[in-house]
Amino acid sequence: MKLLFQKLRLPLIAVALVTLAALVAQAQDPRIQTASLDHLAAKASQTVDVNIDERLIRLAAKLLSDKDSDEKEVKEIITGLKGIYVRSFEFEADGQYTAADVDSIRTQLRAPSWTRMVNVASKKEGGLEVYILMNGEQIGGLAVIATDDRELTVVNLVGPVNLDKLAKLEGQFGVPELGIEKAKPKNDQ
Amino acid sequence: MKTIRIKALAVLSVTLGLTFVFAVLAQAKGDDFNSIVKLIEHFYGVKHQGIPFLAKAGMKVTTTAAKIKGGSAKRLAEAGSVKVAFFEDQTFAGDFTRFRSSLNAALSQTWTPLIQTLSATDKEQTYIFVREADAKYNVLVITIEQREATVVQVTLSPQNLLLLMKDPEGTGKNITQEATIIDQE
Repeated sequence: MKLLFQKLRLPLIAVALVTLAALVAQAQDPRIQTASLDHLAAKASQTVDVNIDERLIRLAAKLLSDKDSDEKEVKEIITGLKGIYVRSFEFEADGQYTAADVDSIRTQLRAPSWTRMVNVASKKEGGLEVYILMNGEQIGGLAVIATDDRELTVVNLVGPVNLDKLAKLEGQFGVPELGIEKAKPKNDQ
Repeated sequence: MKTIRIKALAVLSVTLGLTFVFAVLAQAKGDDFNSIVKLIEHFYGVKHQGIPFLAKAGMKVTTTAAKIKGGSAKRLAEAGSVKVAFFEDQTFAGDFTRFRSSLNAALSQTWTPLIQTLSATDKEQTYIFVREADAKYNVLVITIEQREATVVQVTLSPQNLLLLMKDPEGTGKNITQEATIIDQE
C-alpha cells in the first residue's frame, strides 16, 4: 500500500495542482456562469437573456457620440468592456426560485478574487448585491445579483467598470433598471 | 482499360463528394433564414406562409401599419434586405426551452445571440441574433406566440445596430413590425 502511494504520489500531486489551478482560474474569471439558472425559465413569467460581446461593444463605443453628454457618458462606461451579460427572471408567484439558485451564482463570487461592495444599494425593494473583481489596481469585472420575492436578475459586466457611472447603463444595452445608488457604508458587513 | 475506368470513377466520386460538401457548407453559411423557418416547421409541425398571404394578415398588421405611417416611422432595415416568413393561425405548443436549445445550436456557428426573451405564462418567445455582413450587420428576429410566429432577417447599418443594442427589445419589435408592413405595401 505504502509502495503504491509512493508510486502514485507525483501523479496525485500533479492532478491536485492542475485542479487547484483550474479552480483559481475559474475564481478569477470575470465572466460568471449562469447555466445553473436555466431551469427557472420554465417557471418564469418572463425570462430575458442578453449577450453583448466585446466586438459589439467596441462597435457601440465607436458609434456613440462625443457631443451628446448622455451618449458620451455611456461611451466612457462601455469603452474597454469585454462583455455585458444579463439574465433576468420574473415570476407570478413567490418562492419560485430557491436560495440554492442564488448560491450557485454567489459561489463564483468568492474572495479573494471577488469583493462585495457594501456601499451600494438599490432604490427599489428587494436585495441588491454588487461584487467586483480586481485585476491589480483596476476593476476587471462586476456582478450584480438583484433579488425580489418574484424576481431574480444577474448582471455581469466583463472588463474595467466605472462604478460611479454604473447607474447610467440602466435601461440600456439590456441592463435592467436596478435602481443602483451609493449607500452609506455599513459596519456590520 | 479497367484501371482507367476505375480512376475515372474515383475522380467522379471525389468531384461529386466535394460538390455536395461545398453545397451543404454554402447553404449552412448563406441561408440560415430558410434553415430556421424549416426548424420551426419541423419542431412545431406548422407551415409558413409566403409574402402574398401577408395581404390577408388581418386587422393586426393593418392597424400597426396605419399607426406607423401616421407616426414618426424610421426605416431600420437596409433597402432590399428584408426576408420574412409568417406563420398565422397555427398552434405553437411545445417545450420552448428545448426549442431554444435547438435554435441556439443551429445558429451558434455564425450568429451571436443578442437577446432572448421567453414568457412561460404567455407562451411567447423572442430571439434576436446578429452577425457581421461586410461593413453592415445581419439581424435575425424570431418571434413565436401561441397562434402565430414571424421570422425576419434584415441588414442593418452600424448606426441602426447601435439602436438595437441600446434597446434590444424595442428595436427588435420595430424591425418585425417594419418588415411585415413594408412587405405588405
